[in-house]
Amino acid sequence: MSKSNRRRCRLAICLVLALLATSGCVGARMGVSWPAVGLINVNGEQNIALAYNNDVALLSPVNGAPLRLINPVNGQAMLDSENNPRSWILQGSNNEGAQFYSLPIVLDAETMLVAANSGKLLLVDSVLLEVKQTIPLPDKIVASMLVAEGILYVPYQNGGLSALSLDDFREIWRFHTEEGVWATPLLVGDMIIVPSIDHNLYALDRSSGHRLWSVDLGGSVASTPLLANDRLYVGSFNKSFFEISLDGRILSRYATQNWVWGTPEIDENGIIYVADLSGFVHALDSERNLAEIWSNQVADRGIRAGPLAYMERVIVASRDGKVYWLDKRDGVPVNVREVDALPELLGDMLLLMPSESLKIDQPLLIVTSVHDGRLLIAFEIDGRQNWVYPR
Amino acid sequence: MWDLILNPFVTILAWLYAALNQDIVLAIVVLTVIIRFLTYPLLAKQQESSRKMQQVQPQLKKLQEKYKNDKEKLSQAQMKLYRENKVNPVGGCFPMVIQFPILIGLYQAIFFALAATPFQLVDLSERLLIPGLDSLIPLQRMWTPIPQLASILPELDLTLAPTENPHYSLLLPLLVLVTTWAQQKLTMMTTKQKSDKKDDDEDDKPRGGQAQMMQSMTTIMPIMFGFFSMTFSVGLSVYFVTSNLIGIVQYSPQGRNVLDKLFRKKQTDDAPVEIVFEEEEPTKKTRKRRKKKPRKK
Repeated sequence: MSKSNRRRCRLAICLVLALLATSGCVGARMGVSWPAVGLINVNGEQNIALAYNNDVALLSPVNGAPLRLINPVNGQAMLDSENNPRSWILQGSNNEGAQFYSLPIVLDAETMLVAANSGKLLLVDSVLLEVKQTIPLPDKIVASMLVAEGILYVPYQNGGLSALSLDDFREIWRFHTEEGVWATPLLVGDMIIVPSIDHNLYALDRSSGHRLWSVDLGGSVASTPLLANDRLYVGSFNKSFFEISLDGRILSRYATQNWVWGTPEIDENGIIYVADLSGFVHALDSERNLAEIWSNQVADRGIRAGPLAYMERVIVASRDGKVYWLDKRDGVPVNVREVDALPELLGDMLLLMPSESLKIDQPLLIVTSVHDGRLLIAFEIDGRQNWVYPR
Repeated sequence: MWDLILNPFVTILAWLYAALNQDIVLAIVVLTVIIRFLTYPLLAKQQESSRKMQQVQPQLKKLQEKYKNDKEKLSQAQMKLYRENKVNPVGGCFPMVIQFPILIGLYQAIFFALAATPFQLVDLSERLLIPGLDSLIPLQRMWTPIPQLASILPELDLTLAPTENPHYSLLLPLLVLVTTWAQQKLTMMTTKQKSDKKDDDEDDKPRGGQAQMMQSMTTIMPIMFGFFSMTFSVGLSVYFVTSNLIGIVQYSPQGRNVLDKLFRKKQTDDAPVEIVFEEEEPTKKTRKRRKKKPRKK
């Protein structure tokens, strides 16, 4: 075999092996999480905050456009090196390759805290969009943080929760869990409720971090519990949904079809809506020990995010790339909307009600997908698509 | 479609994990052994085909020299050679085509089962086919190779790459590299030895394009898999090492004898049929006669 043939042969082998290796990776997820979306108040105006992979962005609820950076001295739009207006998009690639899955927290008119998945807190000048300080943390972060009374509560991807002083970011206490905390903790009076992948729901003393109680839910707990009627409502990966008293007793249990990952929703009649990862939505009576009112398979694939209830409808978004509007009375879909290219709709949904600070005159449903070309899709309440980000 | 292969593997792995005292490394090793054992007949078939191809290489070479200026005649002579020796030039591909999805499925199952992020875990919810396994999620992530030496060898995070684990985990890519090399070398030796038995006239060097390819693979594959192991999770390195060690056993003479007996495979060491090539194009009569031969059989 000649030299060139041998080289060709080697190249062919390399290509085949690379193909096999990459085909072996197809379908296996390499990412960390889905977009985090929420409302934050900047200079008296409410904006949509989005954190996903490389970007943290602030968007206008009106049209989904990123906010423009305004020079505080002359009130003019700030320009980049190519004389284009600068948008409020903090990029991880400019900050040690940081990735973001946690919503930013506004500290004051000029300062914001952003958690990077790599285990760093970025103190950001929100006017100039510059990182002022980087604070190292002991672990990665995948869930949004919580702030209350000058204390920052940071949940860690591989286990535990820290309470940091907002004055100097000194750790006040840390509570260890065997596995990660993948949802924002919930404050209930002097307690902080911590859901953990280690199957437990913990209640800690806010000031000391001491455990008040914990309850084993038989499977991982990956969502923030719902607090209603002085009770906690939360689902687990054990295909169960629980009603738990504030002293840590399981009061009722309802068997779902698959894992429950999203936070449930309760309506004005005390009906709780729970979705699971088999595409089922369940309506349960909170006043009758989670008695089933209806349970329907709505979608072909799982529903990760918690449902939203509005007027006579329950709204869910599924991994099949569709948004479903269900009749509250029987769970039958009355409206279905497909998102272009049917991306997995994994992130939480957001329902924006008309207000002056939001500058919208009708309710807007924000759905999050993992498609880089349509991370946020805004629907009007009747199902018409309003805007998409990025455009 | 791919889920039809993948989901049973993920389920069996989770079931083994439960059965083996929630030891994920042991579960990976046992599942790899089972799969490699069950796919052995396919491997043996592939080896047999490869051996036959090696045996006819000298004659193929002669043909290539003889008909170097006439591609059509060369092609006809090659087909005749293959026919007379009952060699299928692509016969080794079919068992390989079946084996690959299985082995890739196994590899992916380990990847999915070792889910460590929300993105990976949400996928796992649709893959566990046996009720009750959900309560095991997440599967064990941390692993201590020798619990008695935990102070010297701290626990490894199986979901992270060696570069993000304690330094000694860098031995794993090295182990992958060495075992892949050993397996490749043994594969090559096995094929060469078998063909050499009946071809004493040939020199020591491997012959033909296939041998060249195998030689290249012996160099490239270990480097490639060593590199993969540096970037993939430690749990996958456990799979690579186990799989290679089984391969070494399967290709070693003693291991092959045991496996051949287990699978009741006959050892065939037939000499290649020496054929005489005609100078002229065969006549219509001879063509017809030759076509009829297999029918008579």
